[in-house]
Amino acid sequence: MRFLLASPPTMALTAESLREFLGSKTRADLDKVSDDAALFSSGLIDSFVMIDLMNLLQKQTGARIAPDELMNLDSIRQILEFSAQKQR
Amino acid sequence: MAEPHDATSPMGIVIIGTPRSGTTLLRRILDAHPNIASPPETYLLSAAARFLHQERFAPGLGIGVLSGLAFAGFSEDEVLGRLRRFVFDFLAEHAAAQGKARWAEKTAFDAFHLPAIERLCRGHVRFLCVQRHGLDVACSMADLVDKTGGYVQELHAYLRRTPEPLAALAHAWVDTSRAVHALAQADPLALELRYEDLVREPATVLRQVLAFIDEPEPEDLLDRALRDTGRLGFGDWKTYGRTAIDDSSVGRWKALPSPTVQRLAAICNDNLETLGYDPVPVDEGEVSDEQARRSYEFGLMLNRMKAKG
Repeated sequence: MRFLLASPPTMALTAESLREFLGSKTRADLDKVSDDAALFSSGLIDSFVMIDLMNLLQKQTGARIAPDELMNLDSIRQILEFSAQKQR
Repeated sequence: MAEPHDATSPMGIVIIGTPRSGTTLLRRILDAHPNIASPPETYLLSAAARFLHQERFAPGLGIGVLSGLAFAGFSEDEVLGRLRRFVFDFLAEHAAAQGKARWAEKTAFDAFHLPAIERLCRGHVRFLCVQRHGLDVACSMADLVDKTGGYVQELHAYLRRTPEPLAALAHAWVDTSRAVHALAQADPLALELRYEDLVREPATVLRQVLAFIDEPEPEDLLDRALRDTGRLGFGDWKTYGRTAIDDSSVGRWKALPSPTVQRLAAICNDNLETLGYDPVPVDEGEVSDEQARRSYEFGLMLNRMKAKG
């Protein structure tokens, strides 16, 4: 089964726009969080924010996220790599 | 001993605000004043409001005690005057027993009975109207429900209308804080203040409050209020345990999950702005059924991942 997307893929994600997105969801200043810091597994972002992030990635890349890919979405660097890879 | 207040202005003080807006904190501070006695919650005013309750049907006649007694020859002023004396006498007697000249009354759920309380008290008391950010109030009321294990009667109508508890509490905040704001705007004997200002700058806010009720400012009022935790009764259980004022409860709504914040923002934002608060940022656009199903799937995937460790 294929999921239809409400919107076409949008422009590439950057570390800055990702921090801004996560900061708006967590209402925390993520400027000091390093690109490799664990986000979900450390509790820095909760399940609700993670779901918002997954929706964003799906909308932005046009790709469907598979369950085994979740493990690789735990840091800003991993998320950016995922986004870039899916957009190719 | 502080000087007595101006004898020509009303002696009674009524603190009014949505439950969990800091009204117990203000009550506790006023009770520490050498001229003011403010007992723990008496429920006198909401009981009086129930006495005055009337229903109005199509022909326009109010069905209740005021109309009933009017047919028996008692004017509305006479009935209200007797009820006022009945209520105020308890408070004045309590104040006298404390050796104080004035009383201040505060009961958490009075804000749900404001029209009748206004009818009874307006022009005869000074109103202190306390406002607090609606999302923080909803969180704090949810704590109260959790502690007490149930909803007071005043909240039942909101829960019937809205099955999500926090949304129902947010609607209750909108209605009561609007009514409190309207009273503060209309009555020259009312002063409106914000919980956030009270806990961030207590000395400044108290100076304004005391000036408004024509009372001098004792130097150690705050210290005395926070030292005295001995008078127990109905009221905010958290405040009774506090020996310092801090702003740790300001902005607690920010810890709520994002979808909940969005839901509450849609309910509260207009009124937040009316009361001078910043509106809570909301996401653009509606969530489609497809997106909602996908979000649910994501949630299940995350749960499975967490379970695997």
